[in-house]
Amino acid sequence: MTDEDQLDESLRAAARDYHTPPEPPREAMWRAIEAARRLDRARRPGPRRWVPWAAAATALLAAGIGIGRLSTSHMAAGAGGAAPAAAGTASPRVNQTAYRMATVEHLGQSEAFLTLFRASVRSGSQERLASATARQLLATNRLLLDSPAGQDRRTRLLLEDLELVLAEIAQLTPQATAGDRELIREGMERGGVLSRLRTVVPAGATPTRGDL
Amino acid sequence: MDDRDLIGRVLAGDSRAERELYDVHVDRVFRLVHRMAGDPHRAQDYTQETFIRAFRRLADFRGDSALSTWLCAIAISVTLNGLRSLKRAREREVALDEAPEIGGRTVQADPDLKLRLTRAIDGLPDGYRTVFVMHDVEGYTHEEIAATLGVQPGTSKAQLFRARARLREALADFARD
Repeated sequence: MTDEDQLDESLRAAARDYHTPPEPPREAMWRAIEAARRLDRARRPGPRRWVPWAAAATALLAAGIGIGRLSTSHMAAGAGGAAPAAAGTASPRVNQTAYRMATVEHLGQSEAFLTLFRASVRSGSQERLASATARQLLATNRLLLDSPAGQDRRTRLLLEDLELVLAEIAQLTPQATAGDRELIREGMERGGVLSRLRTVVPAGATPTRGDL
Repeated sequence: MDDRDLIGRVLAGDSRAERELYDVHVDRVFRLVHRMAGDPHRAQDYTQETFIRAFRRLADFRGDSALSTWLCAIAISVTLNGLRSLKRAREREVALDEAPEIGGRTVQADPDLKLRLTRAIDGLPDGYRTVFVMHDVEGYTHEEIAATLGVQPGTSKAQLFRARARLREALADFARD
């Protein structure tokens, strides 16, 4: 027997102890699988779960347009230019209230979106829509960060953390793995983004809240 | 009971059949996943994910291979993807927290063959490691490995040959001693 053969032999013998498996936690694993299966069954038939996503996308588009209008009037006023008649007549107090409302609306949409996203992390079948929705929310988020709403320190910090999470989701592709989605979910949990959103958004402020 | 009956019952919505299918295959899947993941908690997560995916895709199972082979293929895919994401996350964390220390680290030689072998196997490329673990550690045949990984048996043999060569190289000084 050559040295190489001997090494192969001891190699195979030693390899049998490579990451020796313990007794499988069969019941614990089954409980998790069963819970996921129950969720799967509750989600059938399919089309219903698209409703909140579609509603979220539509509502946030409207919010984005509203904020865009506010921002335009704000920038025009700030630059000394002539603001559109309707916006130009609004007092700073009214504008401030409008920004606050727009911020709450945006944070509410984001909270609903992240809740839906977190719930769908396992199935991972809606990356394209999630990415598109995140991009729209991201645009609104950036408008708000650059607006007077972003001057409030607490709101700014929340919007900045939200931006990171939304940017990650926006980059998701249909080829994303469960691990990729899990990383985003973990990032979301670590920053406590969802719980912070929930403390800011008044209950019932989000039209898209609901089951998947 | 044969796979086809069990699959038929699962697809018909019989949740007891799901449990039966799980009971038949869970030990084998968990063993393989644990060998690849090297951690009981990750092995638990990946095994769960394997079965969840399998139940969701069961209607797509064409029966070209044995159900156990199909399940192992899902398990390998879930495990390797999970480990890659973990590696990426760790690299990000190292980049942020420990970047200055990377250059200063040295690999300590370890006289213990098993420990060194474990490290050497851990360091193999995914393809080599999967074949090595399945063949030399878990005792799968090249035909089973080929069916699981969707490659030719010859490819499996070649991967194993290269994996062993790498390990021999890594443990060469041990053989000399």
